[in-house]
Amino acid sequence: MALRASTWKLQKSLSALLASSRLHTHATSFGFKEVHEEEKSKMVGNVFSSVASSYDLMNDFMSAGLHRLWKDRLVAKLHPFPGMKHLDVAGGTGDIAFRVLESINSVSHSALRCGVTDEVEGGSRIYVCDINPKMLSVGKKRAAERGIDGSPVLQWVEGDAEALSFPKGSMDGYTIAFGIRNVTHIEKALSEAYRVLKKGGRFLCLELSHVELPIFKELYDYYSFSIIPAMGEVVAGDRDSYQYLVESIRRFPKQEVFAKMIADAGFQKVEYENLVGGVVAIHSGLKI
Amino acid sequence: MFRSIGRLPLKTAVLRRGTLNATRRASLCSRANTRQGFPYFPPPNPSQPQAGQNVGSGSAGTSDRQKRNVRGGDYENEQARLLQAALGHVINLGWTEEALIAGARDIGVSPAIVGSFPRKEAILVEYFMDDCLQRLIDKIDSGDLALTNLILSDRLAKLIRDRLEMQIPYISKWPQALSIQALPANLQTSFKQRTMLVDEIWHAAGDHPTNMDWYVKRTILGGIYSTTELYMITDHSPEFCDTWDFLNRRIKDAFDLQKTFQEASYLVEAVGAGVGSSLQGFVQRVFQK
Repeated sequence: MALRASTWKLQKSLSALLASSRLHTHATSFGFKEVHEEEKSKMVGNVFSSVASSYDLMNDFMSAGLHRLWKDRLVAKLHPFPGMKHLDVAGGTGDIAFRVLESINSVSHSALRCGVTDEVEGGSRIYVCDINPKMLSVGKKRAAERGIDGSPVLQWVEGDAEALSFPKGSMDGYTIAFGIRNVTHIEKALSEAYRVLKKGGRFLCLELSHVELPIFKELYDYYSFSIIPAMGEVVAGDRDSYQYLVESIRRFPKQEVFAKMIADAGFQKVEYENLVGGVVAIHSGLKI
Repeated sequence: MFRSIGRLPLKTAVLRRGTLNATRRASLCSRANTRQGFPYFPPPNPSQPQAGQNVGSGSAGTSDRQKRNVRGGDYENEQARLLQAALGHVINLGWTEEALIAGARDIGVSPAIVGSFPRKEAILVEYFMDDCLQRLIDKIDSGDLALTNLILSDRLAKLIRDRLEMQIPYISKWPQALSIQALPANLQTSFKQRTMLVDEIWHAAGDHPTNMDWYVKRTILGGIYSTTELYMITDHSPEFCDTWDFLNRRIKDAFDLQKTFQEASYLVEAVGAGVGSSLQGFVQRVFQK
């Protein structure tokens, strides 16, 4: 009797396993969980809606303020110039956009000194695109605090990285900071990035990545799985969102694999730079 | 990292101009591929084995170039086009990123591409240096310079003058270029480019060193080239005639110095022989007793 019961159980679990493998083409990962593709974007949306208000505070706590330096590094690599059309995807809180704007302003001052005509000065545009309206509203609020909310340069757009609303060949630069991990189809987002960029335009991606250094890796794992969710609970009152965060980092392709994906999307001169031993990596590509 | 970057503009320059004869191209490639900044050349010995070596490394260089063509040819072509266009803006904007950005706009490429260049200002100066070297080599090969009728010192003077004249259009911005080349990060490449230039000049002058050390010669000529280059920056005489006077005097000095060295060595030899013979006589006398 017991035997029959256990075989029945086994059969049931086997059929469930088969069903899930049949489903696999439509399944994707949400942290370590396998979920339906449609669910992932909804679940990611929930995560960011719930953390939007304390997003920057938590970033500071989790990275000990380092995320500011990483973002500075990203913008330094981008090398903005006056007249630039830039698209920052998944940049709702405006962290990257404000830095790009600052950089353009400082460059254009020095260009004025050199006697360059300012025909291109007014042409600079920075589009901040985010799928989550709550994140965008945080960014708008921060722009207002900085007194730059009236600037025509900053444009806030609600949109999906996999289906951008911008025409082909319209952007000089594309950045995505801590965002591509949350996209359901990374390949689609990359090909969209390739589509909207002009010839000579650059793709830059800042993302939490993989640590390979032996002892540092153990420490980093302990920190991610034990401390960050606890910190999330205390600071943001939301443990699950931060559990998702650390799990999704581990699910993200390794540096080399991701670089290959970027090259497959058509980009040339694909490079990456590890920061803090690979805790984050900046990937870059060029459209020719 | 710097090495590969330093190599790049030259390679594109070589790619752009297909007029080089095979041996010269081979020797250029072997030079561009060498790893070290300083003694990467054996002292020139125009005998067979060395020519063989050159051809060997040259063919390796060619296959390397073909590989690069397949992989990232577009990028390198675009970069060369951009740098060429940017040279047109140097007079107004200097050796700056603004010139690169203006160059990118000229050829219809997004200026964002400039962000992908490492050592942004240096890349333009280095491209210009490589381009000038290439032009000089082309000139030598075409025989426009009529070097065969001249004596060695005049040949050297003519070659240096020809090379420096290429900088005249940019003379007001040349101090900036020199300061960029002198930055620690760019020093290795600029040093290598200068040794390549001096080497090319010696080669074209047709000098086969037998009586003076090869490295000494290269150093002296490098010194003459650099001091003349500096003199030229502050020279306001018509058509830089003071500079060319200065150059001729420096070359004459160097040849005089060589003569002085030779005379001194003869003297030392004579004195040595004298001392030796008297010592020999003294020893013989001691043993006779």
